[in-house]
Amino acid sequence: MSFKLFNLLVQASVWTIGISAISIGLGFLIALGLSAALLSGKAFYRRPAQFFISFFRGVPLLVQLLLIYNLLPFIGLNVPSIVAAIIGMSLCTAAYQAENLRGGFKSVPRGLIEAADMVGFTPSQLFLRIKVPIALRLTFPALVNEAIMILKSSSLVSVVGIVEITRMAQDLASSTYMPIEIFSSAALIYLVICWSVALAGRYGERALPGVAK
Amino acid sequence: MTLPAISVRNLVKRFGQTPVLQDIDLDIPEGKVSCLIGPSGSGKSTLLRCLAFLEEATEGMITVNGEALGFFENARGERERLPSTQIRAVRAQIGMVFQQFNLWPHMTALGNVSEALKTVHKVPRKEAEERAMAQLKKVGLENRAGHYPAQLSGGQQQRVAIARALALSPKIMLFDEPTSALDPELTGEVLTVMRDLAADGMTMVVVSHEIGFAATIGHQISFLDQGRLVLTGAPADVFAKPRHPRLEQFLDTYLDRGASMLA
Amino acid sequence: MMFDPGVILKHLPEIISGTGVTLALWIAGMVLGMFIGFVVATLRRYGGVMVDIPLGLVVEVLRGTPFLIQIFLVYYGGPFVGISLDPIPCGLLGLSIYAAAYYSEIFRAGYGAVPHGHVEAAECLGFSRLQVIRRILLPEMALIVLPPSVNLSVILLKESAVLSIITVPELTTTVSAIGSQEYAFLEAIFLLAVIYWVIVEAAARLGRFAESRFSTYRFSTP
Repeated sequence: MSFKLFNLLVQASVWTIGISAISIGLGFLIALGLSAALLSGKAFYRRPAQFFISFFRGVPLLVQLLLIYNLLPFIGLNVPSIVAAIIGMSLCTAAYQAENLRGGFKSVPRGLIEAADMVGFTPSQLFLRIKVPIALRLTFPALVNEAIMILKSSSLVSVVGIVEITRMAQDLASSTYMPIEIFSSAALIYLVICWSVALAGRYGERALPGVAK
Repeated sequence: MTLPAISVRNLVKRFGQTPVLQDIDLDIPEGKVSCLIGPSGSGKSTLLRCLAFLEEATEGMITVNGEALGFFENARGERERLPSTQIRAVRAQIGMVFQQFNLWPHMTALGNVSEALKTVHKVPRKEAEERAMAQLKKVGLENRAGHYPAQLSGGQQQRVAIARALALSPKIMLFDEPTSALDPELTGEVLTVMRDLAADGMTMVVVSHEIGFAATIGHQISFLDQGRLVLTGAPADVFAKPRHPRLEQFLDTYLDRGASMLA
Repeated sequence: MMFDPGVILKHLPEIISGTGVTLALWIAGMVLGMFIGFVVATLRRYGGVMVDIPLGLVVEVLRGTPFLIQIFLVYYGGPFVGISLDPIPCGLLGLSIYAAAYYSEIFRAGYGAVPHGHVEAAECLGFSRLQVIRRILLPEMALIVLPPSVNLSVILLKESAVLSIITVPELTTTVSAIGSQEYAFLEAIFLLAVIYWVIVEAAARLGRFAESRFSTYRFSTP
């Protein structure tokens, strides 16, 4: 297999990484809201969040992507397929991240919240300055895992026509009749990306401020 | 006779059906050290947490320098909850030091002390950090400003926690068993800081197992047992023999914890 | 826009058959994966470094690459090395190997979580290694590995939808084909989502029930 083919796969990985990174980021923001709703005392907020999470964790990502890809034009939103892909992946990872964050928020020691209460934090200051940073530290390893899951799951956006690593590999394999070389190379690229994220995660965890060295 | 810094009237606290505090009447004198002592489960920590409004009393009133804390009696004589902004305003006069320090793990010592100045009081960053540094200096930790809580000893963490409370210039400092979570050799440094604070004339309420500290530094000793305030007075009176039988019994169990000096 | 119920009724046999294929592949993949995963974990624990390192590498490769790529490699690459598999056996093989990698990690953690003293106690009583595994480690591990296994099983069920891409006639393939045929693709995908949701919820509930039943038997750790 030529260097040129391999290079095409590497170039396609920009899409894999880009879509995954954006989805993780958007998913995190959605998950923040969802987890707050999950921890809310009011069923009015909690129930819809539970419903959302149950659905997005209960349906295969492939089916979700097909659903959103076909649903958006139906409700009059003619957006490029990349947008549909990112929406689908973001909602899916949000459901998983919300469960993690809920656990993280519940594990923030009560005393740390009382200490903030005593110095006069408003609820929103308490949330942003104390609860979120601490919950984030507690759930950081789970977040890294989720990022790796999403990187791998992003291979499914190939079905809606986005030429990321998997789709590029499929196209190259059918035009060159070298599926073993092509798909192995694709696997290798995924490995390098996933292992890098895992490594960075482990380093990042140790570098987080306030973690005992 | 000046107005008491805190006054507690007819305070009752129940967790569900279980009464934890009953009919507490207590005045905390200004500029003095008041100690709450008593066996575990006597309700002394709960009382302190009520003074900080971390627990809401089931009945009764608390006033801080004349202002109602949390609840007030309306025109019809009913107990009514104050809006949370007002609660925060009254609470701003109170600093709290916890048994478990409760330093925020993601901020340095300096961050912990300056955080509320910056976030709550909108003090510019540079000024907030200067003021925080001055407080750290006061507790002897200016050279640990950049350390995270996990890098500090328990005694150092508790001193940072004291600095954090002092940074907001409270009129009253509450201490909830500030040395109970510390190894014995580390209690000294925290008690020293508290002694200095008392010498400066800070109004302090201390829940402590350190009977020796209470007897030597305290101006007023309150002894609680089974949710009731058994007696309150100057240490010389409270500890004078013949003692109240329940206090005598309590001191017997604590003879090895600094109470021996009273024997 | 709601699906004409008549259409569902008309295609009910196909939907049932697709569901059957999904369930069969899922259960077979789970059982095979669990078995291979257990063997791998056991070999890695007792086989020495020369077994542990290569097997560990294989597991990491399988866990670090998308299932879809693994399937493509077997399905499209297989014929070039003389392994031509039909979609169903290919899907089953792929699902089992994928599952095995994750199950092996679950069992490995399970081995690690059994207090070493329990094994030592059995060894002192003269148990052989196999007896220790069968009589001590496995029963104690069961409780530890149950929750992550339930989790993984649900993941596998959802991953099996990916097999539609290599035309395995399972649920996703069947229902989306009906959708195209009836010009009601969106409705079909909705139906598909609901079917999966119901199966996943049922599986998760069953798993939680098993966990609660199992947890009555627990062991004390020092």
